[in-house]
Amino acid sequence: MTNSFRWKSAVSAVVCAVVLLCAPLFLSRFYIYFLALILVTGLLATSLNLVLGFGGMYQFHHAVFYGIGAYTLALMLTKTDLPRFLGFVAAPVVGALLAVIIGVICVRLSKLYFGMLQLSLGSLVWALVFRWYSFTGGDDGIHGVPMPEAISSITGSYYFTVIVSGVCLYLMFRVVNSPFGRIFQAIRDNPERSEGIGINVKYHQLVGQALAGFFAGVAGSLFVAVEGSVFPDLLFWTLSLEILIMCLLGGWYTFLGPMLGAAIIVTLRTVVGVYTEYWTMVLAIILMLLIFFLPEGVLGYVQKVLRTEGAGTLREDKQC
Amino acid sequence: MRKVYRIILCTGLMAVLLATGSFVHAADPIKVGIVDSYSGPPSTYTNDVRDGFKLAVDKINAKGGVLGRQITFVTRDDKFKVDLGLSAAKELIMREKVDVLVGTINSAVALAIADLAKKEKIPFLATYSKSSNITGAKGHKFVFSMNENTEMAGKAAAAGLAKLPYVNYWIAGDDYEYGHAIADGVWNHLKKMKPDVKLLGESWWKVGEPDFTPYITSILSAKPDAVIIATGGAGCVPFLKAAKTTGFNQQVPFFMHTATELSTLRPLGLEAPEGVIGTSNYYFYYPETPENKSFAEEFKQAYGRYPSFGSLIGWFTAQFIAKAYEKAGKVDPEKFAEALSGMTIDSPLGKLTVRAFDNQVMLPMFMGRTKKADGYDFLVATDIVTIPAEELMPSIEDVKKAREKEK
Amino acid sequence: MEMATNITISGLSQQFLVGLSRTTILFIVSSGLSLVLGVLRIPNLAHGSLYMIGAFLAYSVCMFAGGGSTGFWLALVLAPLGVALISLVVERGLFRYLYDREHLMMLLFTFSLTLLFRDLVKLIWGSDYRSLSPPALFQGSFSVFGLPFPKYNVFLLIIGPLVALGLWLLITKTRIGKISRAAAVDREMVGAVGINVSRVFAFVFIIGCFLAGLGGALVAPTQNITQGMDHTLIMEAFLIVIIGGLGNIWGALLGALIFGLTDSLGVLLWPQFSIVFPYMAVVVVLLFRPKGLLKATW
Repeated sequence: MTNSFRWKSAVSAVVCAVVLLCAPLFLSRFYIYFLALILVTGLLATSLNLVLGFGGMYQFHHAVFYGIGAYTLALMLTKTDLPRFLGFVAAPVVGALLAVIIGVICVRLSKLYFGMLQLSLGSLVWALVFRWYSFTGGDDGIHGVPMPEAISSITGSYYFTVIVSGVCLYLMFRVVNSPFGRIFQAIRDNPERSEGIGINVKYHQLVGQALAGFFAGVAGSLFVAVEGSVFPDLLFWTLSLEILIMCLLGGWYTFLGPMLGAAIIVTLRTVVGVYTEYWTMVLAIILMLLIFFLPEGVLGYVQKVLRTEGAGTLREDKQC
Repeated sequence: MRKVYRIILCTGLMAVLLATGSFVHAADPIKVGIVDSYSGPPSTYTNDVRDGFKLAVDKINAKGGVLGRQITFVTRDDKFKVDLGLSAAKELIMREKVDVLVGTINSAVALAIADLAKKEKIPFLATYSKSSNITGAKGHKFVFSMNENTEMAGKAAAAGLAKLPYVNYWIAGDDYEYGHAIADGVWNHLKKMKPDVKLLGESWWKVGEPDFTPYITSILSAKPDAVIIATGGAGCVPFLKAAKTTGFNQQVPFFMHTATELSTLRPLGLEAPEGVIGTSNYYFYYPETPENKSFAEEFKQAYGRYPSFGSLIGWFTAQFIAKAYEKAGKVDPEKFAEALSGMTIDSPLGKLTVRAFDNQVMLPMFMGRTKKADGYDFLVATDIVTIPAEELMPSIEDVKKAREKEK
Repeated sequence: MEMATNITISGLSQQFLVGLSRTTILFIVSSGLSLVLGVLRIPNLAHGSLYMIGAFLAYSVCMFAGGGSTGFWLALVLAPLGVALISLVVERGLFRYLYDREHLMMLLFTFSLTLLFRDLVKLIWGSDYRSLSPPALFQGSFSVFGLPFPKYNVFLLIIGPLVALGLWLLITKTRIGKISRAAAVDREMVGAVGINVSRVFAFVFIIGCFLAGLGGALVAPTQNITQGMDHTLIMEAFLIVIIGGLGNIWGALLGALIFGLTDSLGVLLWPQFSIVFPYMAVVVVLLFRPKGLLKATW
């Protein structure tokens, strides 16, 4: 990365941050909530892309780590009297832990089989949360989770979300561009070769899983801050599929693609849902068109058109 | 500068959203927001609720509306999912700026919205969700229930079953909150009223289970005197179908809440099993009062089908809303909530009251058995026994205790 | 958390038979999916939607033909054909251009199809329940070991092996079947030999989808026809195909057997947790035989 490029992307990041922070001044309550939701979902999608786009792992049940993070926070806030911030620390830790546990079992397989095994194990976790009514509220979920005063209002939770997701995005970005990140992508591109030059593939994949689970857990805790509720759907496979869609839609070889994908899906869901109850059909058609004409995802396409190798495009240019 | 383009894209998107948002209101009409599940199996019930609501609202508006204003309503589909329901409710409150929230058949969504209603101080009328927590443990000033809950259904069923000679029971049903709640409701009260009943065992299948045969044979091999079937909206109709196919209803008597209701029996037509014991809150053919007859006629005229309990709920929800605003004198959420609490209206079932203590509407229950009848292409209920509302409401003591535990 | 205390030989045998009839439907649908996945390498999430459409079409055809027994038999023939037609359109119009895309993109694409089909079904048939009765011949039940066994399930027990046999004959004895198997393993080679691979793919895809539609039509009289059908089935079908071995028909049969039997026997042995048994079986299989029980095509 050249110096001038670094400077340019830093400036644009700052501009973005300023816009987001000033948003509550000129947007109504609903749009603040809406933006917060996009950020949370985008963070989740980016965490998935750590292992999906940059790691090449078929992560079919990422939502489990998100849901576990959310439930951890909700349960700690409602069932214990421990200091509030501990909950926010515990959520990502539990997410990472679960990711490693499931990862250890699944990582011996690859690709589709990895995904299916993760799907089955994740479903078992879901079933546990779903059936344990006395502890998790089961199907009802847990509502009215008490948040610290500062972040309990719509605006408060929004600022909290902006700050936390901003920090996390930056951290993930640094990971992706670190030596670890490069090795990780090398594993994605050619696992046998990487093994051959002495890289411990399984170890790196597990670390990747831990990171992805960690940030998914953060996203989960942010969800609780924004919505105030948790429910078993947060761990269901259909949500995992949705996040996958967001990554693919936005461009899974780019860093910000998933965020864009999340923004598109959440917007379509809310806005189109106002006008027709057939919004899934509209979404489906848009998705199909995009796949046909933009196989690299929206952001991938935009980048291709502009022909810049901007920050976050870390796919090897195969023509070289 | 790729990033700059992205910022432009984002701001452009935001501008579009702002624009669509500002299309709202000439502020005058009273706006009702309905969140409900209009996709998949629950929609049979929820469409009835919406149609009943519309029927009443149209009539009220034709007579000049309420406080000189028309009542309008918008609907949002939660697709039976909590996150969609909660998001939709927030959108209705913050963007559409509705005055009252109404909905939904999914108890989890209802609880989430009820909690939101408490925070936002907007009245919420739960139409078809039957969790007793809505007006019980988690009840508050701004949430009202317009249908029976699992405690009430359980009490009524127990009252009816206690009079029958069965002692050895088996319980089976949908493995989710509602299923367990209704089973517990029936069993706990039955045990109180008839202490010598015995539970031989339980079977729970996943919600949406397509094939009941393994469970049915498992139950039959235990040879119970009677079975309590605890299915929810998605499970009632399929189970009844399986009961008919396997002849289950002829081998052992079983009870199912809503088995005698029109919404459940209509899709099965004449293929529904006979002799099933069921409880229901409303039949359009019983009691044969003039109010009931005229309501059934009106509904049939408007929509081409007979009204079910859902239709009635939608209808009297609108009536309650209208009358509450009349009493409140202005469109204010606090005054509305105060007016609605304890209010009575006239209905095809006679006078209906919202109990002041927990904002729970007091509904009678009718128990009967399914049977074919001339003139209808669906089964109806016979040997109908009426259990008056006062007998099945949860006691105020119990509600107080439940709410205390929540704190 | 109690184990059932009423396990008798008759109960066990009964459940075994019931599990087998459930296996039939699972097998028919999964074999179709296995074919598509094995030969075309497309993870077709819309397979479940086609199953659902098969059921709805069966309902419509039956109602159109008067609703009786003839209606049912007609539906059994026409519904899968209708689904096959739809799949032909989808394949020629859409899939054909996407064979070279990444697997995950195909997953995304077929997922969009699921959404589309769901809403189309809602548009065409409304969101009410639909209900279909089995033909008069199969109504009611036999008494097997003193417990009721629906006659329709007997029909399923007969159809299952018939379909398996027919499929096996198709794959091994016919020319097109052999070509498909070759194409599953090495499509470039098949193309190099001068065969129109695209046509082969179309053929296999249609057969696979026909099977999905057949499964839907067969299951229609036993349960509610609703819009949730696609969801529940697709997960099961995928798991079955994975544990059986991709592209392996006998693997699909084995997987379906495991699923169907663990489900029904689980009900008898541990009613509260029976939903967990099939998933546990999957986890166990994948831990010991990660590529599936039988040989996969890739």
